[in-house]
Amino acid sequence: MTAAALVNQLGHACEVRLIESEEIGIVGVGEATLPHIRFFVEALGIDEADFMKATHATFKLGIAFHDFGRIGTHYLHPFGSFGASLNNVPFHHYWLRLHAAGRGGEIWDTSICNVMTDECRFEPPADGGALYNYAYQFDATLFGPYLRNYSVARGAVRTEGKVVEVELDSESAKVAALKLESGERIEGDLFVDCSGFRALLIGQTLKEEWEDWSHWLPCDRAVAMPCVPKGEGIEPYTRAHAMSAGWRWRIPLQHRVGNGYVYSSAHTSDDEAAEALRAAVEGAPMADPRVLKFRAGRRKRSWSRNVVSIGLASGFLEPLESTSIYLVQGAIAQLIEMFPIGRIRDDDVAEFNRAVDVEYDRIRDFLILHYHATTRDDSSFWDHVRTMDVPDSLHEKIRLWQRSARVEKYSQGLFFEPSWIAVYLGQGIIPEGWDQRVNGPSLDQLDAALDRLRRQLAERVAAMPSHRDFLSSRNASIGGPP
Amino acid sequence: MSDRAIRTIAVAGGGIVGQSAAVAFARALPDTRVTVVETKLDPAALADVLPTTWPGVAHFHAAIGIDEGELVRAGIATHHLGTMFEGWSASGLEWVHSFGDYGKPIGAIPFDHLWWRAHGAGDALPYDHYSVGAALARARKFVHPAADARSLGSRYQYGLRLDPPAYLERLRKQAAASGVASIASDIAEIELRNGFIAALLLDDGSRVEADLFIDCTGPSARLISLVDGSFEDWSLWLPFDRLQLSEQRSDTVPSTADRAFATDEGWTIEWPLRDRTIQGELRVGGSGIALARGRRLRPWVGNVLALGDAAIALDPLHGMNIDLAQRAIMLALELLPTREFDPVETGEYNRRFDLVTRRVRDFIALHYLRSGRTNGVWADLAAREPPDSLARTLDQYEYRARLPFHEEESVTRDSWTASLMGLGVLPIHGDPQAAGIPLDKITNAMRNLAAEIEQSVAGVPNYADYLKRIGR
Repeated sequence: MTAAALVNQLGHACEVRLIESEEIGIVGVGEATLPHIRFFVEALGIDEADFMKATHATFKLGIAFHDFGRIGTHYLHPFGSFGASLNNVPFHHYWLRLHAAGRGGEIWDTSICNVMTDECRFEPPADGGALYNYAYQFDATLFGPYLRNYSVARGAVRTEGKVVEVELDSESAKVAALKLESGERIEGDLFVDCSGFRALLIGQTLKEEWEDWSHWLPCDRAVAMPCVPKGEGIEPYTRAHAMSAGWRWRIPLQHRVGNGYVYSSAHTSDDEAAEALRAAVEGAPMADPRVLKFRAGRRKRSWSRNVVSIGLASGFLEPLESTSIYLVQGAIAQLIEMFPIGRIRDDDVAEFNRAVDVEYDRIRDFLILHYHATTRDDSSFWDHVRTMDVPDSLHEKIRLWQRSARVEKYSQGLFFEPSWIAVYLGQGIIPEGWDQRVNGPSLDQLDAALDRLRRQLAERVAAMPSHRDFLSSRNASIGGPP
Repeated sequence: MSDRAIRTIAVAGGGIVGQSAAVAFARALPDTRVTVVETKLDPAALADVLPTTWPGVAHFHAAIGIDEGELVRAGIATHHLGTMFEGWSASGLEWVHSFGDYGKPIGAIPFDHLWWRAHGAGDALPYDHYSVGAALARARKFVHPAADARSLGSRYQYGLRLDPPAYLERLRKQAAASGVASIASDIAEIELRNGFIAALLLDDGSRVEADLFIDCTGPSARLISLVDGSFEDWSLWLPFDRLQLSEQRSDTVPSTADRAFATDEGWTIEWPLRDRTIQGELRVGGSGIALARGRRLRPWVGNVLALGDAAIALDPLHGMNIDLAQRAIMLALELLPTREFDPVETGEYNRRFDLVTRRVRDFIALHYLRSGRTNGVWADLAAREPPDSLARTLDQYEYRARLPFHEEESVTRDSWTASLMGLGVLPIHGDPQAAGIPLDKITNAMRNLAAEIEQSVAGVPNYADYLKRIGR
């Protein structure tokens, strides 16, 4: 992703070399993304239908969380809003007033994403995304090569091989060159560390400090196993099922279903986790369970000297909200914005690190909320996360919501109002108050408006094709084998 | 919930800010009783005495049910496209800060990056020549922006100049029509209970209780200063501390641009109204209204919300005083707490308002710390260490033409670049992405745009004709 974006946006200003080794696998276990990925793909000038076909991608309208707040409950974190603002007041305040009076039904079906996912229907938003948006679920092992071809075709020089030594400049202590197994020596002004958990440059070489967050996000392993899909429909969303020591993902691609159990090794064993995953998947396994190890946290500095770390080399947050690729994309955008001119300036590096930190910190709080906002007491894992101390920044966000249904506002980064509302309400945090401005109309008037809204959404969705049909016709539209 | 809602509001101060707040709260909260205590007006409360607003005034007027056309026909309002700055830059070149777009981006590359390249190649007109709003302001013309977002005529906005006493009368009428009660009396005493205000005891002997008290008493901040004394002083960066206001009758049609001209002694602003021009002279020391410059660290404490000059005191450069008051009112409504006033609720208001005000301060301070003037009162200003957020902006802009993002910032990139370019603050390096665009593509696009703007402005009637057409 980094090479592709650099050649596309700064190809005139720098030479891009891509060093990778076929021998080193990638974590990619099937990847669910967030709507921002669309802008990334679009900015590269890539045709969506072509890219989706090549990576067996499906559309994604949100993430369905099961058994998180309480066993037996579920909700969708939709890539779209609930209802619509009226008189400058967000919709959920109106709904809360009705709800407090025992009326108004559920809030979920006031989001068109919920109606679409319930019926497994999909079509791209005609209005450019005002009402809803979408992301992709794709095979990450195919996405990498797809982008590699893109980069090489546009001037990136790719070298196959393993880095065996990192050479530091004796004066500046910057990275001077990488030595490969073949003996080749590759110099550079700037090195981007995309080596994943190994963090070859930022960690192993520069020893940039790691800020550990595992006391808030105790899951430190995942066991992954794809399976054959069952049934006719393809769900246009990712599922997250809470488990006794973590949670399990289900990511439907065109040809298979990705599954994995993210767990805390302090609360269950690898074998138990693999067994639980086997028992839970719906179809025949397409591979043996594979265990991955990680820990939550981030580098205190993602950019240090002339090394910029992007992706897992810079930090890790579990895939509960499909944020990994977004974090990569966000770091790339920052790198391009802060691309060194003439020399690497401390002020520019600080700007980059500040921006990356903000992203990580916000996502961290949002993830912790999923664990903390629960009444589950059926396992030592849930007892721990339910009762643990959370960061002050999250504590204040929750209190603000509890008082009068306000979501702490920011406009840059991930997860705006609808996302927070979904998780708060979906996991049982019902505010005590709401915006006083909604007290004008009568409850009957509000109820009637809500009925109208639900009818409109239902009618609109009923006219949409099924997700599978839409994918088939898309694939057919670009020719070649289906 | 119903027992948690705010039921009664007392507004202390019946100037423009107090009346604006009263109308806005009364209309947005139909089951809440609002009372305005019309205390004696403080001439140092600039948000109550200055005429200039920003484009956000349209949004605010929509919220309080006041029609722009009515104000213009009544002679209360004139249109305001921006401000002409004279004598501020080292080159001596004047420039127009207008509300709206400067130039057109190419793809995702902002126009100022493109202009910088063309300027470096000696092939660019001054920056503000690529703004329709600025061109209209120079020509003293006005027409409403076009609705079609693709047309050049849609790429500017405007504020209103409001004749202060007449506008205040109009707000009073709107308040009465919105069910606001008013009492003309000064405050004799303020009754406190547990860090909250319990009641205002008035000179006329009456006692006003309320759930929420809104302090619009100007810089004396009579209410909030009783519950929280914290004030952040900005005088280092906003050095002009005296304002002398005067008025001159005028029979000519007002210009659609304000005028701010700098001399060694300070600077002077002119706000043309329908029948007269208000002039403000800003000096360091001397006679005139003494200006506080700074903000309350916590404009909302418990059941006391400070608005206008009671919350933030700025000099009148760019005339953002009323704009900030209107933004504060809308933000307070958006975040209105329950009657318990949990600090987490008022804290969110304080956090967000703080973000807005800091950047407004930075924007105004830019004109002082980076003016091209080196004599008189300006002599030592360039050497002053800017506030952190402005220092970041200047570092990033002066080195690499980048403007760091700030949450809640109300000053747009176009406003920043208009003033930076106008003052002659140019980056050393351009943005690396912009370097990928061929120079002739940039200069051709700019030539076409300048010609289009010229043609478009030529077709617009004079402001006098505009006023005649709408019945003034």
